[in-house]
Parts: sequence; structure tokens; C-alpha cells
Amino acid sequence: MFASSWLILLFPLLGFIGLSWYGNRISRKLVGFVGCGTVGASFFMTLVTLSNLLFLQPEERVGQVQTLYQWISAGSFKLNLAILVDPLSVFMFLIVTGVGFVIHVYSVGYMHDDPEYSRFFAYLNLFIFSMLVLVAAADFFFLIVGWALVGLASYLLIGFWREKASAVLAARKAFVMNVIGDVGMVIAALVIFETFGTLSFVDVFASAPDQFRPNDDAMLLITMLLLVGAFAKSAQLPLHTWLPDAMEGPTPVSALIHAATMVTAGVYLIARCHVLYELAPYTMYFIAGVGIITAIFAGSMAMVQYDIKRVIAYSTMSQLGYMFLAMGIGVYSLGMFHLMTHAFFKALLFMAAGSVIHSLDGEQDLRKMGGLQKVMPLTHATFLIGALALAGFPLTSGYFSKEAIILSSYHAEMGNIVFWAIAVLTAGMTAFYIFRVYLFTFFGKLRSPEAHPHESPMIMVAPLLVLAALALLGGVLGPWVDSFLAPVFGHVAHPHDNALETIALIAGIGGIATAGLLYMVSKQRLDLFKEALAPLYDLLLHKYYVDEIYDYLIVRPTKAIGAFLEQKAEREGVDFTVDQVGLQIKEVSHVISLWQSGKVRSYALNMIVGVVTILMFVVFM
Amino acid sequence: MLSLIIFIPLIAALALLMVSRESVAAIKTVGVGAAAASFALSLWLLFSFDTANPGMQFVQTFHWVPALHINYLVGVDGISLWMVVLTAFLGLLAVMLSFSQKEGLRNFVALILALEAGTLGVFLALDTILFYVFWELMLVPTYFLIGIWGEGRRVYATMKFVIYTLVGSLLMLVAIVSLTMVHYGATHDVTFDLRVLTLTHIDPSMQIWMFLCFFLAFAIKVPVFPLHSWLPHAYVACPIPALILLTGAMSKTGAYGFLRFCLPLFPEAVESFATVIGLMAAAGMVYGAWIAIAQKDLKALVAYSSISHLGFIVIGIFAHNGTGIEGSLLQMINHGIIASALFLIVAFIEMRAGTRNLNELRGLSKAMPVLYGTFMLIMLAALGLPGLNGFVGEFLILMGVWTSSMFSGLSGILVLMGGLSIVFASIYMLYMFQGSMQGKSDNQELTDISRCEFKLLLPACLLILLIGLYPKPFIDRVTPSVESLLHLEKTVNLHTGEESGH
Repeated sequence: MFASSWLILLFPLLGFIGLSWYGNRISRKLVGFVGCGTVGASFFMTLVTLSNLLFLQPEERVGQVQTLYQWISAGSFKLNLAILVDPLSVFMFLIVTGVGFVIHVYSVGYMHDDPEYSRFFAYLNLFIFSMLVLVAAADFFFLIVGWALVGLASYLLIGFWREKASAVLAARKAFVMNVIGDVGMVIAALVIFETFGTLSFVDVFASAPDQFRPNDDAMLLITMLLLVGAFAKSAQLPLHTWLPDAMEGPTPVSALIHAATMVTAGVYLIARCHVLYELAPYTMYFIAGVGIITAIFAGSMAMVQYDIKRVIAYSTMSQLGYMFLAMGIGVYSLGMFHLMTHAFFKALLFMAAGSVIHSLDGEQDLRKMGGLQKVMPLTHATFLIGALALAGFPLTSGYFSKEAIILSSYHAEMGNIVFWAIAVLTAGMTAFYIFRVYLFTFFGKLRSPEAHPHESPMIMVAPLLVLAALALLGGVLGPWVDSFLAPVFGHVAHPHDNALETIALIAGIGGIATAGLLYMVSKQRLDLFKEALAPLYDLLLHKYYVDEIYDYLIVRPTKAIGAFLEQKAEREGVDFTVDQVGLQIKEVSHVISLWQSGKVRSYALNMIVGVVTILMFVVFM
Repeated sequence: MLSLIIFIPLIAALALLMVSRESVAAIKTVGVGAAAASFALSLWLLFSFDTANPGMQFVQTFHWVPALHINYLVGVDGISLWMVVLTAFLGLLAVMLSFSQKEGLRNFVALILALEAGTLGVFLALDTILFYVFWELMLVPTYFLIGIWGEGRRVYATMKFVIYTLVGSLLMLVAIVSLTMVHYGATHDVTFDLRVLTLTHIDPSMQIWMFLCFFLAFAIKVPVFPLHSWLPHAYVACPIPALILLTGAMSKTGAYGFLRFCLPLFPEAVESFATVIGLMAAAGMVYGAWIAIAQKDLKALVAYSSISHLGFIVIGIFAHNGTGIEGSLLQMINHGIIASALFLIVAFIEMRAGTRNLNELRGLSKAMPVLYGTFMLIMLAALGLPGLNGFVGEFLILMGVWTSSMFSGLSGILVLMGGLSIVFASIYMLYMFQGSMQGKSDNQELTDISRCEFKLLLPACLLILLIGLYPKPFIDRVTPSVESLLHLEKTVNLHTGEESGH
């Protein structure tokens, strides 16, 4: 019944192969058509799968494994190449192919003048394929395969402009950091296999609750090791530093990979493995704690950055923190719902920002923007919608999803007042920084005189409008998401608490108001304000000096030890010792073999004669 | 059949010496013809191999030195099958690549063929003396290939390599002879047949020193840290066609020796030394990778990365379980493909840019898009990207180590060291790839690799994808032999001197 679901994965793969092989030989129009078409076809197949799934009774919708062939059988390790079709994977398919398709169409306009147009679409297709492998995998092994492939696609796309040194560096940083996460996942898979004798999701999750009691060592170990991967991919503390740098890539990449899809893989992982996580309540607290700390940590940095894309990148980190909080307190479907709305409004914000950057010929500095609301009315309107949704303004999609998480952070079984307070504070910051960007970009006067801003072409604006509609109205999908995912997660209680809701709402609106106020006060007063808070401002502007700390604590020592090992251990240690042994023997033989000519060839001859003699001696006695 | 695989290259090597130095066309025909024939036969072997049979197949034998019961005895099983195919394949590759050699082409090709024959012989020999002869036969061509056609400190490098290896192999010879004597003591039967010898139970204290003799010979050949110091010199000095055989095939003979000799002959000794060897191998994995990060010379970088990857293979073997050994065998194929392809790429880059120093290279991708694509794929396989072949092997090995009972509680640490070396692999591979291919380009006039050169890389690319997508057929041919290796029963007992047949 779900065999056709393989097609979802196949189309983008074919797109990638076709475009990387023939991309340079076909017209640009065809490249764009193939690039978008494959993802569109994939989206269509997702809808087919969805309707097939909805025909089934809710309890039959889980555990539909489609096996293609036995992939390996080595020792006790056996594995099939298979995909798992259930509400959670189909939900992710919808987001990946749906939002992915919209962003592909946008890219047709955005990358229009790039000389390596076809390579870009090939990589984008590769990314969609990899992400689908990640969410379709029916076992931990192929999860890791997808996990690493999205890392690869991300690496390729961050470093897409390969002549730009900063992009190359950022790509390497992202890749290495993600490999650290991969290794964590690999070790987790080893422990899982040792514990359960299988890597298949269905089998592992079925036997885990019977075999283990909450907080057993094995469960804590597995869940924590998986988290290394989740944190690396979703840019949670302390493995977050690659994400802001990843903004070196083209903007559609930021929208697709570093906002809507790939970075949410960590959230998906926890949701997928929630059976294991529920057996490890300590890990759950840890997730919630890291999530909420990342949320406020990133939110605070976003308040002072001047690069429009970096602000949104920090915002992504912060919103991911919310999703991790939701996972940590066990309200999975709320987390997935926020994942969805976030995909809508954050992709929208990135693409609207991309539209601005595009029209200002690549300018990303907020201080050089301004007054664009008249020249770019559609971009302005869509950005505003995205900003409102991000700030959690009532009745936008973000309002429903974020508010629910904030409320649960107090009311859920594992919630407490501290989580709630930080979540509310972060909500205030969120509203502040995004409206700071909004005002800087669209109000006042344009601060770069040579630029000639213009509204972007229709092929870029249309995707903005689609996402704007989803960002605005996506909230109504909340109950549907809840009941659709219920076979996987079970139903979630929806607490109501008017007092707490009001406070959160006030925080959001307060943030918007503060941004407006600060924007309106004179520059002099603003400078006074900055001076008063100088140490804090400095700290935030330098991103808490985390990059510098890593550089001194990890990067430099690693390189230094490498050089040291080569110089001391290798040359002066191992090599020297071996040479000394040889030299000493030579010294001795020198005394007794003064008659030798010193010619290398005669040495060689001697040696061969020697070897042959020994052989003859042995063989024929 | 098996003899043809070995002796076609060897006879061709001798025949080449009759050909005039000037007749390049004849040299090429004979060289490629012999290597291709050997490779074709190895493929035929692959397809007619009985997957379910764990024992030796295609056995050929005749008396060689009847007085001492030394026989010419060759055979193939799951453990050696892929190594034979790999060696024959790399031999063909090496011969084809060596045509770019300007001076002494005839002798160069002849030596390459001799090296190939020696390596094939090592993988196929079942008589211990025959094994030893082939083992030494590998050494002679290597000595001349590096010493005459090498670069830099070639004489130093080749002397070091030869002496180092000789020390090990002479000790092995002592152990080979005493092995037969032990068997003679038990059965009053002189034989050098490895299949018979593995059934002999050896006194544990005897096992230890005999094991160490064998181990040293193989560990130097692989090499296992800290016996590796010949490798960087030899690899950097070695001309690339020979290097392909050296790294792709010859380094596997050491690992193969562990599997063929150490594991079945000395089980108790293996058990008592496994932890130490595991630590040595793991140290080599991290050490090699760490030094690779500091390299600027691409050839040296790949050489050190080889030390790291070979450590993986050794640790999987001494994990002594099905997953680990099968992972190691797969990784032996993988490393043979990947390392040789990386050296090919280094050669292509050097031919064009005139340097292989990372400080002087950058931005080649613009001028060489085809090389860029293939290089990327091979680089990703080398750093163990999941989905490609390198990862399958590494994963199985780590799985084997993790579940192994041999490492006395240190499995976790060994796996972590493996993980660290994987992270380092991504760092040095990206240094290598990005450093040479990306960044501002200032070599616009360079030409991309030719169609012919691309064809040399193409098989590697296809295999990288194929093994990554569907490793089952590769593993399935290995499994029965590995299982029988792991469940070997010692039926000949020294003290009773009787066969206690089961």
C-alpha cells in the first residue's frame, strides 16, 4: 500500500543525479523546471501517501515498514533497506517537500544571475533527498545516513560560493561540528544494537518499555548519546557556533536548511525516539534545560546584531530552543506543531530578507537599509506577517504554537515556573529583536545612497505570498496536527490559564513596543543607553565570546598538538629511534666491512644475494 | 586457474625483459595484456566462487621440494577472494598509470607486474614456505621501484623500508619452521600445509613467542603504530603507480596475515595480546589522523591518513567476532579503493599544477570541474560519510569492537578513539579538498583531467557508491569463511599426539 512512498525519495535523487550530470548542458529554464519539478512531484506523492494513511484506522497508521532489500548481513548484524511510513514521517514529508518546493521556486528568481545555477539546484535536490532519507528511515542506521547526508548538503550549500574564503571556512566549521554529532549518533547506535540486538525503530521501541525501567543506565546513555547528534544538528548549546556562520550561504539555503528543515532534525529525532526518552526522565529535564537556555541565550544575541540574516539565524536557534523545551517537557505534538509554524514563518522571514538583500545588491547590514516599505510593498507586507507570527502576535500561527508551549512549560507534568519565566522573557526578546529588524529595514530613510531598491520579480514574491498565508493562518491546523500525530504520541492535554496567557501576551507586545520606542528616541539618547549597558552590549555583540573560547581551547591546541606530534613524536621520537638502531648496526658493520664500495647498487646486490642465500639454505638445506 | 592469476603477471614481467627498451608499444601491450588477463581471471574466480563453502576452493597442488614435504599449494576462500580481485584490479590500474613514466618504462612495468604477482601469491599461498617466498618476492620489486624511480630521499626511504620489513619477515621464517616442528612433534608428520597446521594445538607459552614473530612481520607490513616509521618515507618517495599497489594491496597483506596465521594458529596468544594490540591500533588511528592534520604535502597527508585507516582494519580483526572481522575485510577493500584513488588524484594535481604543496595550491575547481566532482566523492568516502562505502566498514568495525569480549573492558575507550579519528578525518580531508580545490582561483590555464584519466578514477567512484548502497554481496562471500575461522576446533593435540576426531 505504501510502496509508492519510495517515489517520494526517488524524484529528488533523480533530480540531483540528472542536474549534476547534465546541468551544464541544458538551458537554465529547464534546470529550474527540473529542480522544482522533482520536489513538486515528491510533494504530490506525499499527498498520495497522506491520503492512503488517512484511509486507515488511526491505530493501524503506525509501524508501516516498507522493505526494499536486505542491505547487509555481517556477523550478528543484519539490516534491511526500509522506510517507515507513519503520521510522524508523513508530517515531516509534508513540511520538507511542501516548504521545500516553495523555496525551490523562489530560488529560480533569487539565483537567476548566478553562473552556477545548475549546481545550485543539484545541491538543493540532494538536500531534499537527504532530508527525506532522514525522516523516512526505519532504523537508526539509515537515520544516521540521512543525518550525515543533510550535513553534506548543508556543507555544499554553505560553501556554494567556493571562491569566497569566509564561505569555505564556514562550510568546514559546519561540517566538522556535524561530524561530532554524527559520531555521537554512531556510538548511540552501537549501544542500541548491543542492548536490543536490532536497530529497527519498530522493534526497539516495542521492546524498550518492557526491558527497562525509567532512568536505567542504558536508557540514559543512549538518550544522551543521541542528544549529541541532535544538539549538533539543531544548533543547541554548546554545539551552536556553526549556525550563524552558515549564513554565508545563499539566502534560499538559509531559509530551507538553516530554518525550516534540517535544523529541526534534532527535534524530529527526539520525537521519533520519544519512547526511549520517556524512559529517561533525567535526560528529559536536561533537554528542557538546554532548550530554554539556548532560547534565551540566542534571543539575547539576536537583539544587538546588525547583519539581517544573522539576527534571523539567532532567532532560529532560539525558536529551536522552544521546540527542545517542548520535547523535554513531553508535549511532543506541540513541539511538532511549532516546528511546522516555524517552518512557515521563518522561511518567510528569510526569503523576505533575501528579497531585500537581492534588491540592495547583496547588502546585509541593517545600518545600510531603511525606508523600503514604499519601494517593496509586497516584501514589506510579507515580512511584517512573518515578524508578527514570530513575535507571537494574537491569531497568527506563531501565537498558537508558541503560546501553547509556554503555557505547557508551567502546566505540563515536568514543567515549572522557571521554565515558564524564561520562556516568557525570551518571547519578549523575540518580539523586540524582530521588530528592531523590521523597523531598521523598512522605516526611515534608505541609508545606502547608491542603491536602487526595487520590488523583486513575481517568481520570488509569489512564494512569499504563499508562505505569508500559511504563517498567518497556519494556526488553525493546530487541532488537526494534534489528532493526526496522536497515534504516535498519544493525546496531549491543553491547559487553559488566562492569567499566564495574558502575561505572555503582554511580554510579546511589550517587546514590540520597546523596539518601537527605542527606534523613535534620538540617536544621542540611544548612544547614552548603549554606553550605560556597554559591557553587556559588548558581550552580546561578541556572541558571549564562545567562538573565541573554542578557538583557544580546542582549535588551536588541536593544531598545535598535530604539529607537535609530527615534529617531536614522529621525527625525533619514533623515526629517530628506528634510525638510531640502524645507524648503530651500520657503525659496527662499518668497522668490519671497510672493503665495501659504498655504492647503493652493490648494497642492493648484496642484499638480494643475502636473501636468496638464506632462502636457498632454508629450502634446500 | 589460481596459478594462472599469479603467474601471468610474473611471466609477463620476465618476458618484458626480452623486449627491446625502445618498443614502447610492445611494452604497453604486454603489460596491459598480462594485467588485464590476470584481472579477468580474478573476476571469473569471483563469479564461479561458491559463496556457501567456507573452505578452500580451486586448490592446486604439486610437490615442490618432496624431501621436505614443501608443496606448491594455492587456494582461495572468502577471506582472500576479495583481496585477489582487488590486487589484480589495482595491478591493472598501476600498469596503465605507469605509461606516463618517461625513463626506464620497460623495467618499471616489469617490476610493477612482479610486485603484483608477489602480492597475489601471498594472498593465495597455503603452504607456509610458499607464502614466505611470495612475501619476500613482494619486497624486491618495491626496493627497486622506490630506489630507482622514487623522489626525494628515495635511497634512504627504500633502505629503511627493506631492512625494516626484512627484520620482521626473517623472524616469521623462524616461526614458520618451528610451527612445522611443533606439528611434527605431535604427529610425526612433516607438513607446511597451513590447513593442517591450524588444527594443531600449540602449547600456550610456545604460542606467545611464535605469535610475536608472526605479529611483528605482519604489523610492520601493515603497519601498526608504532612500527610505522618506514611508511611516510616510503610513500612520499614512491612513484605513484607503484604506490597504488603498495598502499592498496601490499598493506593488506599484513592484515591478511593476521587473519590467516595469527588468529587460527595462536588463539590463546591472540586473546592475551588483543588488548595491547587494540590500544596500539587505536593509538595509530588517532596519531596518524592527528599528524595528517598538520601536513602540507598532499602525498604525506594521504600517507598518514592511511596509517589511521589501517589502524581501523587491525582493531576490527582483533575484535575477534564476525562483525568486526567482516567489517575489517570490507574496510580492506574500501581502503584499497579509496587510498589508491586519492593517490591518483594527487598525481593528477601534481602533473598539472607542478606542486602538491597545500600552501601553493588553491582554487583548482574552476579549471577542473570533473576532477572536482570525483575528488569530492572520493574524499567523502575517505572521511567515512554515511551512505558511502567507508562508513559501512567503519561502522561494522566499531560495532565489532564495541561488542567484543577481547579488549578487557576497554572497548568503550577504543570506540571513542575511533570516533575521534573519524572527526579528525573530516578535518584533514577537508583541509586537503578545500585547500586545493576551493578558494580564489589563479590557475585558469590548467586543463581538466582527460577522458582516459577519468576512466582510471571511474571504477573507484562506482565501487564507492555500490558498496555504500548494497554491501550485502560483498559481505556474503566473506561470511562463511569468517565463521569457520571463528569456530575453528583444534583436533591435533601435542601431548597425546593423537587425532581426537570430532
